[in-house]
This record gives sequence, C-alpha cells and structure tokens, in this order.
Amino acid sequence: MKKMMRNMMIFAAAAAMTAGMAMAAHAEVELDVIICQYGPNTNEWFLGSGMDGSNFVEKFEAENPDIKLNLDVVSWNDVYTEVDTRIANNNAPDILNIDVFANYANDGLLLPVSDYCPEDLYSDFFPSFIDQSVIDDTVWAVPDLASARALFCNADIFEEVGIEYPTTWSELEDACQAIIDFYDGEIYPWGVDMTTDEGQAAFAYYTWGNGGGFVDENGEWAVNSDENVEAINFALSLVENGFTNPNPATQTRYDLQDMFAAGKLAMLIAPNQLPTYVADKGGDINMVTVNIPAADGKASSSVGVMDRVMAFKDDTAEDQDARNEAIGKFLKFFYDPENYVGWVSMEGFLPAVNSAVEALVEADPTFEAWLDVLGGCQFYPTAKAEWDQVKQGVIAAEQNALTGSDIKEELDALQAQLAG
Amino acid sequence: MKTEKLLPRGRIALLVISAALALAAALMSLPLYSFTASVYTKKSANTFVGDDKYKEVRAEVEAEAKAYEEKGMAVTIDETVTERTNSKGKTTSLVAFSIQETFRKNIWSFLNGDLPSCRVLQIMLLCALLGVVCTLAGSAFCLGQVPKTLSRPKRVLRGAACVLFGLDVILTPVFILMNNHTFWRKLGLYNSELITDGKEAFFGKLDRFLFGGSLGDGIDAALKNLSADHSPLVWGLMLLFALAALGAVQIRFGAVKKTFLRVLLYVFVAAVCIVTLYPYYVMLITAFRSNAETLDMYFLNMLPTKWIWSNLTDIIRRGVPRFLANSVMVAGGATVLAMLCGIPAAFAMARMRFRGKKIFLGFVIMSQMFSPVVLLIGISQLMNILHLNDTILGLVLINAAFNQAFAIWLLRGTFVAISPEMEQAAKIDGCTTFGSLTRVLLPMAAPGIVTTLIFVFINAWNEYTISTVLISTASKRPITVGITQFSSFNMIEWQYLFAASLLATIPVVILFMAIEKHLTSGLTSGGVKG
Amino acid sequence: MNAGSRKNTLTPYLWLLPSILLIGIFVVFPIVIVFRMSFSEISKSGVIGGFIGLKNYKDAVSLPAFGTVMKNTFWWVLSVVGLSTLLGFIIALVLNQEFAGRKIARSILIFPWATSLVIQASVWNYIIKYEYGSLNNVLLNLGIIKNAVNWRSSYQIEFIWECGVGIFVTIPFVAFCVLSGLQSIDESLYESAIVDGAGFWDKLFKITLPLVRPALSVSTVLNIIYVFNSFPIVYTMTKGAPANKTDTMITYLYMLSFYDRRKGPAIALSVIGFVILCICAGIYMMTVMRKEDSES
Repeated sequence: MKKMMRNMMIFAAAAAMTAGMAMAAHAEVELDVIICQYGPNTNEWFLGSGMDGSNFVEKFEAENPDIKLNLDVVSWNDVYTEVDTRIANNNAPDILNIDVFANYANDGLLLPVSDYCPEDLYSDFFPSFIDQSVIDDTVWAVPDLASARALFCNADIFEEVGIEYPTTWSELEDACQAIIDFYDGEIYPWGVDMTTDEGQAAFAYYTWGNGGGFVDENGEWAVNSDENVEAINFALSLVENGFTNPNPATQTRYDLQDMFAAGKLAMLIAPNQLPTYVADKGGDINMVTVNIPAADGKASSSVGVMDRVMAFKDDTAEDQDARNEAIGKFLKFFYDPENYVGWVSMEGFLPAVNSAVEALVEADPTFEAWLDVLGGCQFYPTAKAEWDQVKQGVIAAEQNALTGSDIKEELDALQAQLAG
Repeated sequence: MKTEKLLPRGRIALLVISAALALAAALMSLPLYSFTASVYTKKSANTFVGDDKYKEVRAEVEAEAKAYEEKGMAVTIDETVTERTNSKGKTTSLVAFSIQETFRKNIWSFLNGDLPSCRVLQIMLLCALLGVVCTLAGSAFCLGQVPKTLSRPKRVLRGAACVLFGLDVILTPVFILMNNHTFWRKLGLYNSELITDGKEAFFGKLDRFLFGGSLGDGIDAALKNLSADHSPLVWGLMLLFALAALGAVQIRFGAVKKTFLRVLLYVFVAAVCIVTLYPYYVMLITAFRSNAETLDMYFLNMLPTKWIWSNLTDIIRRGVPRFLANSVMVAGGATVLAMLCGIPAAFAMARMRFRGKKIFLGFVIMSQMFSPVVLLIGISQLMNILHLNDTILGLVLINAAFNQAFAIWLLRGTFVAISPEMEQAAKIDGCTTFGSLTRVLLPMAAPGIVTTLIFVFINAWNEYTISTVLISTASKRPITVGITQFSSFNMIEWQYLFAASLLATIPVVILFMAIEKHLTSGLTSGGVKG
Repeated sequence: MNAGSRKNTLTPYLWLLPSILLIGIFVVFPIVIVFRMSFSEISKSGVIGGFIGLKNYKDAVSLPAFGTVMKNTFWWVLSVVGLSTLLGFIIALVLNQEFAGRKIARSILIFPWATSLVIQASVWNYIIKYEYGSLNNVLLNLGIIKNAVNWRSSYQIEFIWECGVGIFVTIPFVAFCVLSGLQSIDESLYESAIVDGAGFWDKLFKITLPLVRPALSVSTVLNIIYVFNSFPIVYTMTKGAPANKTDTMITYLYMLSFYDRRKGPAIALSVIGFVILCICAGIYMMTVMRKEDSES
C-alpha cells in the first residue's frame, strides 16, 4: 500500500512538472479559441493547409510570437456540450465563435466588447449587426459572419409547368398544386423544415410573412398571436395537402438542399450559400431567387442569421490588460480583409465588416444583391434571455402540431410558460 | 433392405417431376406479362380544350401517332385534362396527351430476347432439360435400389438432378426480379443527365424485345412511363420447380424430411448473415461513391458508377490515421490498465473470503449505472483537478475505470471455474500468492482473460461522448470523435464518413476473428459461473 | 493461513485496492458531483449556483414530456433487451449445430458488436432515408418494390426502427454468451435424453435452457444497463423528434440540458434514472447472490 502511495505521489509530481514546463516553454499569453465548423473547409483553413498552404493559427503565431493559440474547430453537434461543460468547470474558452450569446452575458461570463476590441475595428462592423448583440446598453459580442435567406426556385420546373414565381401565399398554393398535377407528385413543390435543428426558422418564415413573429412591437414575447397561429396553420396545411417533403419533423434543411440539388424539390427557402452547396453536390440547377412569399396583402420579409465572436472573462489571468490586448490582436488579425475575405467567401457567407465588402463584390458581383437583402433582414431576438426556451418551444409546438395537436393550444401554453 | 418401400416412392417422385415440369411449361405459355407503353407523352400547361394552343398540340400528337401506326404498332391516344380554379378565381387547365400501346407476352417470348433476364431464362430451361436427362439416366432400371448401394456414376447423376432443379428454384426469383427491374422502374427518369453509358445498348435490346425494333431512334421518349405488370401466377413457376427438386431429392437420398431441415438451416444462416452484413455492404459501397452519387435520388445505380479511390486518400489527408493511432493508444492503454487493476480484484473475489465481498460486487455494478453522457460535467471537473484535460492519459484512465465492472465480473467467473488445487500445490512448493497467480492461474485462465481484453478494448475503442468534451486538440482525437468532422448537422459527407468508419471497424473485426475461438471458450467459463 | 489474523483480514482489501481506487476516483467522484449538482441551481450556460433542495426534481417530474419519455424508455429497454435475448438465443442454437461454414457465420455475427454505435446509427440512418436511402436503392434495383417506400412515415415507425437497430447491435453479445454456455453442455446429457424418448422441445426446455440460464442472466443484466444508457442510436436517427415523442430518457435529458438549456431538471432526471436502474439491478443481485450462496 505504501508503495502504491509513493508511486502515486511520484506520478502526481511528474504530472505537475510536465504541466509547469509546458507553461514555461510557451509564450506569455495563451488563448483558448473555439470555432464552429461551418463546412468541410473550416478545419482546413484554421488548422490544416487551407490558407495558401499554411493556416490561420500558424500565420497568426508567426505575426504575434508572444501569443499562443489553442484553437479547436468543433462540430455544431458538439459545440454546446463542450462549451457548457467547460463553463460548469470554470474553464471557459477565451474566445468563442457561436450563434447565441445572451445566456453567457446574463451569467456575467462575457467581457464587454469595449474592453478588448480596437476602436478602428469596432467602427468597421455593420452597425445594424452590432445592435443585435446589445443587452442593457452594453455590446457583448461582435458579428462574425451572416447569411440572408430568400426563396430559391428551380427555374426549369417553373418554365415547364408554365407558372409564375409566387409572391403571396395563395399564389404559392396555386403553384404547388400545378407542380403536383404536372409531375404526378414525383417532384415536391415546397420544402418545409420543422426539425429540432432549425424549426424556429420555419416559424420565422411564416409568421414574419403574416405580420406576426416571436415578439410584439414593444419587444415582448408574443408567440401565440392570431397572426402566428394563422401562419403556422398555413404551413401545416401545405404539409397536409401533400405539397411538401414527406417528413418535415426529421428532414433538415440540408436534406432539403440535397433534394433541391437533385431536382426533386421545386422551391426552398435557403441561405445565400445554396448555389455553392448545390454545385458541391454535383447538382446543375437553373435557379432563381425571389422574395419569400407573404400572406396576401402583407409585406414580405427576409430572414437573416448571424453568428458571433465573444470573449470570456478569466479572473485567473495574471495580466488582464495583456490578455485583453491579445484578444484584440486576434480579432484584428481575423478581420483583416486579407484573411477575413478568404474566410467568408470560402463557405459562401456574407461579411460583417465594411472593409471586406469591396473585395467580395469584386470577386463575385452577385454579392451586392445579397448585401441589399441583408440590409432588410429581420433577425431572431437572440438578445432576449428566454430565446432558447422560445426556440425549443416553437419547435416542439410545430412538431406536436404535425402529429395532430392544435397549434393554438400549443402556442398558448408556450406563451403562458413565458409569462409565468 | 427397404427396396419394397423405395420403389413405389421413387415412382411417385418421377411422376411428380414430370407433372411439375409439364405444368411449368403450360404456365409459361400463358400471357402472364402485360405491358402498357406510353410511347409518347406531351403535357401542355395553360391549355384549354378547344383553344388554339390545344389544337396545335393535338395536331402534333396525332401526327406522332400516325408515325407509330406506320411502324406497325396499334396505338391509342389518351387525353387527360386537369382543370382547377386558382386562388384568384382564374381557371387553369393542364392537358396531357399520351400515345399508348398495350400488349401481353408469355414467358416463352423471353427466350429470344437478349435482355439480362432472357439469359437467365435460357439457363433455367437448360437446367430443367439437363435435370430430366440426369434423372432418367440415373434411375433407369434401378429406381428401387437403396442409394448407398448404387454405382458411383448413378449417384452422381441423381445428385446432379437435385442440384439442377435446385438451381431452377433459385433462378426463378432472379428471373422475375430482373424483369421487375427492367420494366417496372419509371423509365422516364433515365432521361436525366445522370444516365450511364450502357443505356443505349440496353434500350436497344428492350426495343427489339418489346416492339420488334420498330421504335428505332425515338426510343428515349417512347419508353417514358412504360408500365409492366405480371400476374402473381409467375411465382407458381418457383413452386413447380421446387416440387421437381423434391422429387429428385427423394430419388437421390430416399429421405426428403432430413434434407429439407438441412436446407432450412442453411437458409436461416444465410438470412442472418445477409442482414448482418448489409450495413457493411452499404458502408463499403458508399465509401467509394462520389459526393453526388451518395445522394442518388433516382436510385439509378446499386454500385458506384466509378469507384472513387481518392475518398480514401482524402480521409487519410484529413487525419484519419492519426485518429486511429490515438484510438489504439486509448483502447490499448485502457485495456492494460483495466486488466492490471481487475485481475487482482477478481482474484481476491474468487479465492479469498472476507467481509464486504457482496458490497464490493454491488459497488462495481453500480459504477456502471450512470451513462457517461450524464457524468460529463463531473468527469471534466475531475480532469481539471488532475490536470489531465485534453490528454490521452485522461481518456485511458476514464475508460479503464468505466470498464472495471465488466472486467471484474468476467474474470471472477473465469477464476471461479478453475479448480484451486493447482495453486495450493504451487504454494506448498514455496510459491507466494502472487507467484501462484501469475505462474499457475493466469496461464490456465488465458481464454477468459482474452475475452475480457476484447470486451474492454471494444468498449474503449467505441467510446465517444467523454472524448468529445475531454479532448480539444484535433491531433489528440480518437477515431470516434475524429469522424464527426465528416458529419455534423450542417453537412454530412457520407462517402468520407463511411470510408473512415470502415477503416475504424476493420482492425477490430480482424482482432475479433483472430481470437474468435478463445472468445467463446472464455465466455463459457465467465458466463456459466457468473 | 496462520501468520497472524490482522494481516489475513487486510490482504483481500489490498488486492482490491487498485480497482477500488480506479473506480472511486474516476467513477464515484463524478457521480458525487452529479448528485450534488442535482440539488443546486444551475444556470442556462452551466454555472453552478447554490442549494435549492428538491426543486430540480419537482421540475423534472412535471416536465410535459416526462410521461412520454418514461413510457418510451420502458418500451425501448423491454423490446431491445427482450427481443435481442430471444433472437440471440435462437441464433446461438443454430450456430451451435455442425454445418459447413459455421466458423465464417460466427465471424460475421461478430461484426455489429465490433462497430461503434455512432457508426451503426449513421449507417442505418442512411439506409432508411426515403429519398436516397440504400434500402430503397437496393429493393428498387432488385425489382422487389415498384416505387420508393417512405420507411419512416410516422414517429411510431421511426421508434420501431430505432429499437430494431438497438436489437441488431445487441444480438451478437447475447448470442455469444449463449453459445459459450451451449458449448459447455455435455453431449451425453442429450444422448441419454434421446434414449428416454425426449423430443426436440423436451431437450430445449429441460436441458438446454436451464444450463444456459446463468450465462443468459449475466448478459441480461449488463444489457439492461447498457441499453438503458444507450445514447447514439436515438440521437443520430431522430434526435427525439417530433417533440420528444421518440426520445428515451438519456437522449431526452441530453436535449433538455444542451438544447432547451434546462440543466437542473436534466441532472435531476439522470439521478432518477440511476435510482431506477439501481432498483432493477438490486433485485437481480439479490436473486443471483442467493443462488450463488446455495452453490458454495
């Protein structure tokens, strides 16, 4: 037993020494960075050889020898698990790239952007994006990238069937019926995604197109408004009439994009990266982009999705100023057009900073149109603390309604939950 | 000895064979296959019956029909109109014309086509003919003779008849399914650009078979929406051949029931094997498809049209060998550690008497009852305290700990099953307890130890959840986490995912196969006394 | 055996020590943390706060999906453990016969066991996709079906598929446990039974079954624990959609924790699951232990 104790002590000492040596051998500031995996190229760009044979970490460390990056590219499936577990252990990453921020800000885990973001970089962000990350007049995160959504139509199908692109819901129903008639149901006219991954997007598409939405004009939660109930019932009626893909509760947007790429789906609301995606999948689709159809007499609205970069507090860091400065250097390097343009265009996203616009438009003239769409986009109310609950709540309500429940009762229950 | 019984049975068998074959021939003469070929279709949207566009299209269709008639085909023009009132109160109308030819064919007509299924039918008939010849030659003047006393050539001839009729039984569904494949698929889809090169030749054959070659170049459009149906009576062919085969078996072996049970056994084993191997077939096939072909929404190809070997090099470039090496380290390390801790514990449980034995066993099994998913936060906190976050050593320790229950339970069963006499003898010769364990017990318990090794190794090899959270450096990931870079909810690269999965599965399967013998005998001792 | 009683009483515990240390540090410590957390307030992002008594448990029990999930978990464990034991037993009986190719068949049976659950679940997820799945592809190309079949047309069917995959991956383990039990049965037992005029069923129920029962009970208890805690199949194939109707307890608490971000009830739920398992295993342990006592 003694022997074992001694062995354990030796082992512990060795472990401590290794850890200590590791610290001493490295540079002054170490930053733990977690990046989400946006596509097959993300890993290559940050860690592999996707940046002209080099990668982001190598280049950054060459330019800033006093900063060491522990950068991890995490799949979207696992990122919440990893981040939350680290937070529970007081071991939050220093820099995190993810979609939501309100929970972290409300728990007092984040550094205000003003603490670390250089002034010139801050003024470079699109102001409307910065506004999305404000709680109590403080900016907690900076936008990383964005995408805007519109309706993509398979032009060949529309030509063959001889119909116009729909702008209203009733025109949409007509178009769906015509496509069903023409192809005997071989082609799905309309894609609906009410999955656990992104069902909130479907909620936004229909309710925003009917003058409803997650919140009322005062910014208070109003998920059970009459407009919302009507809108979701409309979406459900499309499913019921057989106008859509058969399994909306489990077929994700990526499944729908695959169908669109194969010519099995005529219309799909998708982000601006769809053409890149379709080309990657070997599809050759003649596609046209139009506004998302709205209820008759209501204004169409496009949906924007934005991801963020945020920095966590670390009370154990010895030199807070040096740490903040290092984070600033990271952001500065990341948003440098020389690097950032490659990052954004690699996965076909839209930029969040003005300085990148010029280069992007030059590379691809269609970008300009998308930037216009982005300007008119509505975003999810991610700055509100209850957003996770609302998001999961509307998804559960939609899925329950798909299996036969009454959507009004479901949304009423959710609203009551939010109020109480 | 049983000649007097065998002779009448043999006669009945001969009668059954001839009756079955005659019935089969009759069945094949019935027009069991019916075809409807829409040799031409035209759909016109926004067209109302009687308007200019309608007349224009109608004239076009009639001209087309005339052309087919000139080729000697009896065709009818089919017209459907779909009228609807849309949301704005406007009436829409879709007019669809199709020129159709309907005809029936019997199975004999498949003899002189050169479609794949025709070849099968030719082989089937050949088998049946040879089978009859073999039966007659094998049983002439010796029908009542006990099979064992027959001359060798006669035995061979009778056996050959069994095999030949058996082949017919197997080939019948092949023939039917091949026809289904040929005729039932929505052939119009073959017009898509994904068509492979063999199309022209195949459609040429189909044209010659169905239309006597009258379609010529217009084949693509002509075969749009070909529909075919066969009467369920076709399956009777299989039954008849089976009867013939049974007769042949009676003549060869003199006992039908035993052979039948044997065949049933093989059928069951084959079914189990096919179901078990199916996912691996899918993995293998998909691993070599191109990205586009993994999403083959028209189900055009069962096998990759082109085997993409670069999928393998791609995943190797993206770090799979590194992940595999990490997994070997984690699983190997965990196995060694689990054994080092588990063997003494199991030994104590099997050979010593002490208080708290049951409590310890309960404690061990209880340690398995929390899913690692649930314990994530606790484990990660522990690893922080020990400074083992993001290390392979941490994973080794965790996996070893989570497999203690399995190791101790299995090893204890093994040790209990071995009589302690040898060890006691060794102790009398001056061995220590430790010496008796390592020199006497362990060699005897080798099969059980191998079993346990495998269990722990597999469990550690397959562990996923803890590794995702514990390991944050890409180069330290085990394979289970490593392959998530090919499948996230925003993109699944099936071909890479399955290629990597295959690479991850093969080493374990080989390991398993190498020690399969030990495995079962090891489980014996562990299981029975468990 | 006579060198002083103190040393004798301590020796067994020394032999157990490495194992106890390993389990104690790496398994029990996290369990203790989970228990403590279940009585603490936990924020949405995972920050652990103060003691709040049984609130998490009350929240967990009053979750709207709680009943559905418990019911699903029950059926999941029952069907997967039950059917895989039955099928595994049958397959083992067959593979115990002498026939050509037996070794190959046994090696093939090992495959599903040697493949990680994440991979198995992904493959089956791909197989039963409606639009491009392999099952439709194979059946269409063999001409067995006329049109693609929607293999997952309702959530009940999807749940059945999930159970099916669970059974598929569990059968080999059961089959090999039974097979080892079968191999240890003395042939002479059967021979004397045949002399006594026993039929196939007599032999099965009076000789085979009693003799492989110990092997079966070990595999069953381990299976219950593993199947109850099995996560990847349901998570990969449906993520519990629609609205937790295909969730089992483990996937549900994962969704609750990381999607709904209701970490308190999720932790409480995991403790509830642990207690349920403990009760089941406790009952089992008592019966097995009693039998073992009578043996020795």
